[in-house]
Formats: sequence, C-alpha cells, structure tokens
Amino acid sequence: MLIETLRIKNFKSFRQAEMKNLPRFCVVVGANGSGKSNLFDVFGFLKDCLTFNVKQALQARGGFREVLSRGVDETESIELEIKFRMNIAGVERLVTYLIEIGIENRQVVVRREVLRYKRGRYGSPYHFLDFIKGTGYAITNEEDFDKQDEELEREQQNVGKDALAIKGLGQFERFKAANAFRQLIENWHVSDFHINLARGSKEAIGEYEHLSVSGDNLQLVARNIYENHPDIFQEIVTAMKHRVPGVSQVEPILTQDGRLILNFQDKTFKDPFIDKYVSDGTIKMFAYLVLLYDPEPHPLLCIEEPENQLYPTLLWELAEEFRAYAERGGQVFVSSHSPDFLNAVSLEEVYWLVKEQGYTQIRRAEEDSQLKAFIAEGDQMGYLWKEGLFPGADPR
Amino acid sequence: MNQLVFLLEEPSAKAMLEGVLPRLLGDNVNVVYVVFEGKQDLEKRLPRRLRAWQNPNARFVVMRDQDSGDCYEIKRKLVGICEEAGRPDVLVRVACHELESFYLGDLQAVASTIGPNTLAKQQNNAKYRDPDRLNNAAQELKRIAKAYQKLAGSRAIGPALSLDENRSRSFNQLIGGIKELAGV
Repeated sequence: MLIETLRIKNFKSFRQAEMKNLPRFCVVVGANGSGKSNLFDVFGFLKDCLTFNVKQALQARGGFREVLSRGVDETESIELEIKFRMNIAGVERLVTYLIEIGIENRQVVVRREVLRYKRGRYGSPYHFLDFIKGTGYAITNEEDFDKQDEELEREQQNVGKDALAIKGLGQFERFKAANAFRQLIENWHVSDFHINLARGSKEAIGEYEHLSVSGDNLQLVARNIYENHPDIFQEIVTAMKHRVPGVSQVEPILTQDGRLILNFQDKTFKDPFIDKYVSDGTIKMFAYLVLLYDPEPHPLLCIEEPENQLYPTLLWELAEEFRAYAERGGQVFVSSHSPDFLNAVSLEEVYWLVKEQGYTQIRRAEEDSQLKAFIAEGDQMGYLWKEGLFPGADPR
Repeated sequence: MNQLVFLLEEPSAKAMLEGVLPRLLGDNVNVVYVVFEGKQDLEKRLPRRLRAWQNPNARFVVMRDQDSGDCYEIKRKLVGICEEAGRPDVLVRVACHELESFYLGDLQAVASTIGPNTLAKQQNNAKYRDPDRLNNAAQELKRIAKAYQKLAGSRAIGPALSLDENRSRSFNQLIGGIKELAGV
C-alpha cells in the first residue's frame, strides 16, 4: 500500500490541508504545538474508527467538539480523504477512501463514506462502496472489471449510522475492496512506545508476530524472531553491537515460571544484564531494530520523535532503516526534532508544519526553490533547518 | 608522521574510509575523522579546524563530492581555503561525481555486500568501465543495488573495496594521495 494523497478538513488543527505525491518515507518537522501529533492522529483516528467505532474513536479524543477544528460551526463535518495504491482482485488501483463525520440530534453520524477507483485509464471513478448515514451499497463482483457499469452487482446494506461500512462489510470476502482496505488499516502501526512497558518479564503467551503499539510484547516478538528467523536476529544483534558499547549478545530467555525476559551480555563480564536493568536507550534501540527488521512490514508505520534517548550519530542510520523498511513495501511517517536525523533525509522526504491563524499548514521542502538550490549545492536537510531556512518552521 | 586527519562532508565517507584505511595504513598511523554537515558547513568550518589543530605532526585530507559542480574549480577553491588557513600541504580530493562513483568502480564489492550477486558481471558494461563520467552515480547505484542506503551501504562496502582494482579514477587518486601522504 502506498498513500499518495491525504486531505484533511476540520480535523483538530487542520482546517484545510492536503499532502500530495507522498513518498514512501515522510519526515515531518515543526515547532511544538504546530500539529505534528495531530497529523499522525489522522491515522490513529481512522484505525480506531475501524477497530472500535467512530463514537469511541471520538470519545477517546475528547468528543466530537474537541476533534472538530476550533472556530468551525458544529453543523460542519470532519472530512478525511486518502488516495492510495492498492491491489484489488489482482490489479493495482488508485483508490480513494473518503469519510465525513458530523453530529445530528446530538448523535455521531457518518454522513458519507465512499470507496472509489477508476476502472480504466479514462472515465470518472466508480463508487464501489457508497454509504450515506448508514445506508448504501457495495459492489460484489469487482473481479469482472470489463463489465459495463449496469452489470456490476450492487448489494444494498444497512449499517449503524455511526459505524463505518468498511468495518461491517469488510468482514465479508465478497466485498473485495472493502475487505482488502479494512485489512490494511488494521495493520497500520501508530507507535506509542513506552520504554517502561517494554521492560521486564512478560507472560510467554500473547501476540508475538509484530511489536505492539506500546512495545509491551518486545520479549515475545524478539523470541519469535530468535527462533524462526535466526538470520534476522543475528542482524539485529550485529547492529546492537555497533551502536551500544558493551552489548555483545542479546538473548530471549524463558524463565522457570513461564515468563520471558531479555538478557543483554557484555563480553567483559560473565553474567548478563536482564532487560530491567539496561539503559533506556539500549531498550529503545533494540525495540526499533525489532520493529524495523520485521519480516513482514506494516503497510503504514507512524513514529513520533524516534531520536529521544539515542546518541546523535546513530540517527543517520536509523533514518536509513526507516527508509529501507518503507522500501520493503510499507510507508513510514516520522516526526522529528533532530537535525542529525534530518541530515540523513532527502529533499523529497521532508515536510514541515506551520501554524497560521490557529490552523496548521503543511509545507513541503521539495516545493521550496531555495531549499532545492541549497541541496543541489550539497547541503544537508538538518543543517538547512538549523540555519532557519524552512520558512515559518521556527517558533517566533 | 603520526596523525592523519580526514575532513569529510558526511558520515558515509567516514564509514567507507573506516573499511579501507586499516588495509592501507600501518598500525602506527592515528586516523581521525572530522565529519561536517554538508558542503557549506565543510567550507565554513574548515579553516578553523586547520588553524587551531593542536598536533603539529598532523597531516590533513579534505574530501568532498563533486556533485553538479566543476571538479577542478571545487578543488581550487578548497586548496585556496587551506592555503589561507596556513596549510598549503593539505591533500584535497574530490569524488567524481559522488562517493557512489567509487562503488560503481568496484561492483564486485557491491555484489558481495549489498547484492545482487549478478552485479559483478556488469563491470565491463560501458557505463561502469569509467564510472567517474556518470553524473548520477548515487541514483545509478540505487537502481542496480536496491537495498543500498548511503551510510549502512558505505559501512558494508568499504571493507570489500579493492585497493588496486577500481575503475573509478577519482578513487585511485584518493588512494594514491593517501599513500603518498602517509609514506606507505
């Protein structure tokens, strides 16, 4: 999956914003409070709408009024639109997914939900799923692409007024686009890593295929890689050796009472350190490696400020690892306050946020001819940023 | 001579040299890397580093990419900066056009570290016989070795780079210059 366009209207600090031609690896910088977290929360919100429901997703963010941009009339809708490339019934399509959420008679209502894509190079896009306030249709024979519009089978459905149709319909194999899209969003990873949750001994039974959002199953995922992908585990250990002085081996250990811990070995000493006692940065670096060397990348990965707790010279390589992850089939969004991290990022990959009259604007480095000229002369993005050359980015 | 100081524009050049220099220099040479943040930064801070360097026996190598600029002009300018800082003996080397040109000059090294394995056979393609002529070396390398990332790739390829069989003339110039400077 590759998101090409993201359009946001009335969502938190985004009154009206759009990102086009998104690269696989996107790095967003901006002053504190400029809206970086809100941007990432667009993905978190969509995922919550699908995993739970729209009402709960809003409630977790303080309710509809809090999520709707300030100064916007309550009768207006929150609108989110993403355009992405996705494989449907064996063909890659540019798909648009759009939702409009509002409030009517004090109830949360999905005013419109559309999944559409073009069936050919020409012609207007065809709506494969179209719902208004819980009622609508979805197409069930998407594999017959050559059929005329009138021959496509529409199946009328009702879902709750406050529910997403892709959630309800996406469970069924026959709605191929909805099903595929639902699965993609379910696999989005919007990180909320907590070092303290990642530490300590863990129940050996639980989710082990992917690192959880908080990182609290680090030991389980590490053991899975250790046992089933020993070559990848060796790469992770080799990377740790280069980056954290004193770490010569890492090993997941099953304790006698059926719990999992990680042992960090310093070759100078005989006895290893258990994960509870190693440094924050060590745990964090190890967790990132476990996440980024995942044999099956998430279609979308969002990470805020990965540089925290890490030594500056390690950030160049970390940025490269995010990019390599994206190149293996995912898409990665990272926010950062680190010039060292940004130095490793290319012109096309950088965005910055500016707050104007209370609302967030999104700027792209590639569209700034001055930055472009400096990069062509051999400057690095982080250096230019520090010199104050991202117009409007610095706090005033 | 006891200290060799490399003044570089980015960390990947350091990573590459760390793989090459131990095979070129003896143990008695102390190598120090000063890594700047791009070309502007290199030019700006270079004179201060040279002027205030405390070890009187240190010898210096300045290395940067040519990129889109004129190779000779870049070199002249850097030599000028060094002379003004009172160090006319600094060795200035320009990678033509980029660090990646060095790697395109030794596809065997790329094949054995980054892959794909079949890459080594391509060395005799017209393009890679004289890689310094390609002005988009980084792009070209990424095209043929998809897993390549600048820093991690340089760290991997560096130790595999051949010291005497590289098709990049600017790489050979660099190696020759360092040898002369270090007296090996």
